[in-house]
Amino acid sequence: MGRMVSIDPVTRIEGHLRIDIEIEGDKVKDAWSSGTMFRGLEMLLKGKHPWDAQQVTERICGVCPLVHGTAASYCLDDALGVELPDNARLIRNLCLGANFIQSHILHFYHLAALDYVDVTAVAKYTGTNRALQILRDKIVGLVKANDVYPFLPRYESNDYVSDPELATVLVGHYVEALEMRKKAQEMLSIFYGRMPSFVGTVPGGVTTPPTISNIAAFRSRLTELRKWIDNVYLADILLLAEVEAYKPFHTAGDSGGNYLAYGGFDEDSQGTKKFLPRGVIFNNDIFNVEGPDKFGEFQITESVKHSWYTDECEWLNPKNGKTEPDIHKEGAYSFLKAPRYKGKPMEVGPLSRMLVKKPDLLVNLAKELGLLDNKPIKIGLLPRHAARAIECKILAEEMDKWLDQLKPGDKIWDKKDIPSESYGRGLVEGPRGALGHWIHIKGKKIDNYQAIVPTTWNASPRDKNGERGPIETALIGLPVPDPENPINVVRCVRSFDPCLACAIHVIHPSHNGVKVFQVI
Amino acid sequence: MNGRLVTRRDFLKHAGATAALLGLSESFIPQLARALQELASGKPPVIWIQGQCCSGCSVSLLNSNYPMVAELVLDKLSIRFHPTIMAAAGDKAISAIEETARDLKGKYVLVVEGPVPEAEGGEYCTFGIEKTTKDLLGKSVPKDKPMTLWMEELVPKAAAVIAVGNCASFGGIPKANAEVTGTKPISEVVKKIDANKPVINVGGCPPHPDWVVGTVLEGLTWLSGGKKPDLDEHLRSKTFFGKLIHENCERRAAFDAGLFLEDWNDQNPDMKLCLFKMGCKGPVTYADCPIRRWNSGVNWCVGANAPCHGCAEPAFYKDLSPLYEPLPNVNFAGLTTSTDVLGWVAAGATAAGVGVHYLLKQLGKKPEEKSEGGE
Repeated sequence: MGRMVSIDPVTRIEGHLRIDIEIEGDKVKDAWSSGTMFRGLEMLLKGKHPWDAQQVTERICGVCPLVHGTAASYCLDDALGVELPDNARLIRNLCLGANFIQSHILHFYHLAALDYVDVTAVAKYTGTNRALQILRDKIVGLVKANDVYPFLPRYESNDYVSDPELATVLVGHYVEALEMRKKAQEMLSIFYGRMPSFVGTVPGGVTTPPTISNIAAFRSRLTELRKWIDNVYLADILLLAEVEAYKPFHTAGDSGGNYLAYGGFDEDSQGTKKFLPRGVIFNNDIFNVEGPDKFGEFQITESVKHSWYTDECEWLNPKNGKTEPDIHKEGAYSFLKAPRYKGKPMEVGPLSRMLVKKPDLLVNLAKELGLLDNKPIKIGLLPRHAARAIECKILAEEMDKWLDQLKPGDKIWDKKDIPSESYGRGLVEGPRGALGHWIHIKGKKIDNYQAIVPTTWNASPRDKNGERGPIETALIGLPVPDPENPINVVRCVRSFDPCLACAIHVIHPSHNGVKVFQVI
Repeated sequence: MNGRLVTRRDFLKHAGATAALLGLSESFIPQLARALQELASGKPPVIWIQGQCCSGCSVSLLNSNYPMVAELVLDKLSIRFHPTIMAAAGDKAISAIEETARDLKGKYVLVVEGPVPEAEGGEYCTFGIEKTTKDLLGKSVPKDKPMTLWMEELVPKAAAVIAVGNCASFGGIPKANAEVTGTKPISEVVKKIDANKPVINVGGCPPHPDWVVGTVLEGLTWLSGGKKPDLDEHLRSKTFFGKLIHENCERRAAFDAGLFLEDWNDQNPDMKLCLFKMGCKGPVTYADCPIRRWNSGVNWCVGANAPCHGCAEPAFYKDLSPLYEPLPNVNFAGLTTSTDVLGWVAAGATAAGVGVHYLLKQLGKKPEEKSEGGE
């Protein structure tokens, strides 16, 4: 057996994650991903007024409240039989889009970039940019005072970008990005009141009508962000891809080649046409996408063989899934279940969505980097970042068009009463991937509420067949020259943008209603 | 450690700007400067740990404007540990906590986001590895370190504890599942470990970034021998949680006039309608949202034509549900009101000197200490 290394906590992600790796011959031989926090939210909703679902599920996660609130709104719309007015559909798209932008910027600059950039190199900056000189002086001051927290300590590595000019520009972008993501949150605030934990969607529509002035306020921020995404975010990603030391990451960190996207951003009131399409890819066969017509929710099953839940919960479809904690279970190592589609672990998130949609920008970049020449194709951890940035760009462009379609004065809400019994489903895409909410209303109250979130797919443990989760698979083979500083391991984990609060929100022992859903 | 980098004058300037922007009293400033200049970098050390949280409070803090986040991190606070922003992971990250606790005993502020689950030996929330654990044969084995143990280690050495957000302050959302996880608010956990340790709560789900920064500054001032922050019965600073939303609401006139929103398609061109009938909890919620507003002052919940959900109150969420139903009918001197006449009653009652004060009393709250001078 090789040397075992535990990384706990994995920081600069949302939530509580532990990664264990076995190292043999300077490489990761095996890996285990464990979610180490449990709350339980769905139980809280039982017996509550169905309208509360959106406000409660937003609190599943502080990083993507918007996504949960949006999924809950669609879920309730479905249960209530709402005909969503175009204005409401567009405002929901715009706000979800704004959240993608803030989340992707936050992820790349504030969660991931410190794995690539040497902050201390800023102290050696000799350039003439006044703002960067001020930044340098601050860093110099902190180094002198021996107080460079929270940038030090860190995993040491000889492949950080440490050219003073380059590193300073990147750290400057880190600081700029703080302001940029804040502007994206302001965009949300215009229609949705505030972020995080917004209030602007309700079952049936939205609360803020579009006006000439709020459209203008939204667009001015969007325009500024689009410029920044094109000129800074995308440019920085391409810069990292060009760094010689990082070229192995074009293909290292492949999650196993299975990708799932529910699709999102409805382009018509029925949601049949989506800006980000639905699709499934197996074994990196990226030109062979199983489209929406072949998609079946019944193909989803969850294994708890290695999760701290009783055997009663094993291999069930989540709609009638069970969640009975058993923290003493033999062989278990995570609070996450292991969801599988057609029995296979699936990566979800921007890479999956972009592989299904295949925008020109992505295909051309892949060709340029020679990614399509490899047989079999391997897609590493840097393309995961690139897909995120490309998605950010094409979405921001589309948002400008959605703004044009808003009609001040038109309806924003379809008022519907709560039926005495009904089922509803909301499948959306969040920044981190495919998200589903399900509701069963009985006696005008919530009888059962279930959510299946992106990180449960990505950070899942082994399943009943012993097959690893996507992050676990991605880690295997990564070089770990220094076990004390397993930088490549955290680089890879963070490329998935894990969000553990989302993943471990579940509860409950006894009331798991059995439901039948129309397969679409 | 090296020499002092920031002069007292710099400090006063910085501290003054920060305090003024957050609406703190100027009397805080000298003590604040004293508190900060003791450290080489001039930045007070903070250990920020996360219990059963969703990181929403941290994300909200990233929206801070004055000071801006970069300023906060580079110039204002020495953030020794914060899982969401720090560079280090694993052992390296843990060593930052351990060194701070050892070298700066009694000088760091412990900020806790999310409550602590105490059931099953704390196994429902862990971070870091507990290396000293022995198996049955006495061999050392790595074991997840529970949040409960972290609290026992870090609370006694902290200068003070700040519970950020409703979950840490009052149990919030995870407390609804307390029978399984044994979830406890931070103040209760701290009390068991060290009854004399100062604890301040910051309400809000999530809290406004100013509430977090301001409360930390008030706490630091207190620690340096300055004025004790004026806290309410729930240990929240009255600077931010001293006034009812309803008292300062921009749509109060609509409430008084009995003009209520009942259909989101109905956009009254003359006056923004009151959201009471849509379930607004503004009449029972203490927070300065209407004045401070959110996301760089762009908007706030009522500004988005949506009801306040009372997220800064200990009663949130469970006891304020259903969120979109009007607050229960209230008795006014034997007269049972419905929302149809509430505006009229409130207007009359205010004139008569009762109003909100009375309304709250009827809802079983204790308004005496809070709305003094209000009505």
